[in-house]
Amino acid sequence: MSELPIERVGERIWEVPAGARAGMRVPARVFADAELLSAIRADHSLEQLANVATLPGIVEAALAMPDIHQGYGFPVGGVAATEPPAGVVSPGGVGYDINCGVRLLALPLDVGELGARRSPLMREIARRVPVGTGGKGSRDGLRGIRLERVLALGPRALLEDLGIGSEEELTVTESAGCLERADPARLSPRALERGAGQIGTLGSGNHFVELQRVDRLYDPPSARAFGLREGQVTILIHSGSRGLGHQVCTDFVKRMDSRLRDYGIELPDRQLSCAPLDSPEAQAYLGAMAAAANFAWANRAALAERARAAVGAVLGPAAARGLRQVYDVAHNVAKLEQHDGRTLCVHRKGATRAFPPGHPELPGAYQDAGQPVFIPGSMGTASFVLAGRPRALELSFGTTCHGAGRRLSRTAVRKQVRGEVLRDRLEEQGIAVQAGSARGLAEEAPEAYKDVERVVDVVHAAGLAAKVARLRPIGVIKG
Amino acid sequence: MFYWAPHTSELELHIEAAGEHEVFIDALLGVAELLGVDVRREPDVCRRLRAQAGDRPALLAAWLEELIFVVETEGFEPVGVRELRLEDESAEALVVGSLGEPPPLIKAVTYHGLTFAAVEGGYRASVVLDV
Repeated sequence: MSELPIERVGERIWEVPAGARAGMRVPARVFADAELLSAIRADHSLEQLANVATLPGIVEAALAMPDIHQGYGFPVGGVAATEPPAGVVSPGGVGYDINCGVRLLALPLDVGELGARRSPLMREIARRVPVGTGGKGSRDGLRGIRLERVLALGPRALLEDLGIGSEEELTVTESAGCLERADPARLSPRALERGAGQIGTLGSGNHFVELQRVDRLYDPPSARAFGLREGQVTILIHSGSRGLGHQVCTDFVKRMDSRLRDYGIELPDRQLSCAPLDSPEAQAYLGAMAAAANFAWANRAALAERARAAVGAVLGPAAARGLRQVYDVAHNVAKLEQHDGRTLCVHRKGATRAFPPGHPELPGAYQDAGQPVFIPGSMGTASFVLAGRPRALELSFGTTCHGAGRRLSRTAVRKQVRGEVLRDRLEEQGIAVQAGSARGLAEEAPEAYKDVERVVDVVHAAGLAAKVARLRPIGVIKG
Repeated sequence: MFYWAPHTSELELHIEAAGEHEVFIDALLGVAELLGVDVRREPDVCRRLRAQAGDRPALLAAWLEELIFVVETEGFEPVGVRELRLEDESAEALVVGSLGEPPPLIKAVTYHGLTFAAVEGGYRASVVLDV
């Protein structure tokens, strides 16, 4: 239970004052309602957020979305903006799974038209999408990949070299699926070795492919702009940069940790290891991180291609051709962005960019609606499609939440839930389940997560992002 | 001995041991338990692990990173340690086990809450694994 003082400073906004703990340079600010705040105070989330507030060059506040929970170094659901040149970049502020994110695909049919073909489609996707962190199954990635081009160009390399994806799909991907500062030469041989053969693989933990139906529209005009209608079948893909990204973070946490004294940086947690943005270490990290981010976007493009092939095999070529990508967003990344005339390095760790209507970085089709944001719930609850709103730029550096947020440890949830029982329960709810292990399934049980509807209501009410549609799962493939 | 402490999203390994060598060995056994490996079984392959770091806590993290790398890339299932040599800034060992399909659990070894310290009667260490 956190003992840090926290006070209400606005509607659904709470603040740990900058003086609450030695070394804090800015306040720690949390978007939450009273019930979520109570859950947030139950673990070390606020202490971790207060630690983030000590980073050199942090501006405004260390921010937390309502899905914040205890992580390592940064809390998950944390946002920190630092200002060059003295401001720092912290690899732990991005996390090990660089550019973990979600991609939403919309099928050209309704759940009624899918009918009894749901289970065959699930089995076919599961057959084509390898799962797991390592060993067998983790290296069944796409063949013919030119890794260096993927690291430099992201999914564009798949389009140009293998004909995977389309120009339209690149347009509806955050940053067009390519961070321009990518520098593949900054990756260690071990990072390249871990990433080899992993493009087109899902990974483990909370990664998934979910088959869904659009259950409710809150904002029909924006839903129309996103190509979504009630009853429509969608596919949500959650994955990241796999072993390659994990190794990039490992390499740079260690490297920056060894230089902290040289830069006169003292930290309350070694996992916050960081370097000034104008330092060689920071520049190298940003180049490597961007390359890993590009790898992750390519990975989700490859996973989408595999899902499309499964759709084609089960539902026919017309359905495969009609499968549209709504958008693809990162929720673990650091980017140099312009905010109020300043260039800032915005770290989003388990947090999603949410730019409002009219923002120049949005594709033309979404200029009126705002940036699509996808908030996965848990496998037994709803997910949400949101759209970025202007208040996000005023309050959170254009950021909103990324999920429901864990509330129970893996051990705790395994004591409450057995995987086999959970599978039966989900099947009774009309949710087909494919999982690598009963243990892994139990660890991701809905009981492990906060109420996603409450989380989404907070960001909606705070004006960070607006509700557009609710998606209900009808099938889940767990990594 | 080792045990797992509650952590909302990751796995937190704690070790209490009589000596420094035992800390490294227990860390390996903790990973083996996590992977569901039966450490009583006869090993049939070995791997030489070399880790380097500037201090003991970081060396423990580096040791586990080396182990997790062979788990991930080769499906190595560790059951024990042979010939562990510890220096101030390095660890080198022959680890034994077998090749299989260990479950995909561990992404990385973090520096969060990383400790390794002498206490009365031995040593205590802790490390958080990203899963």
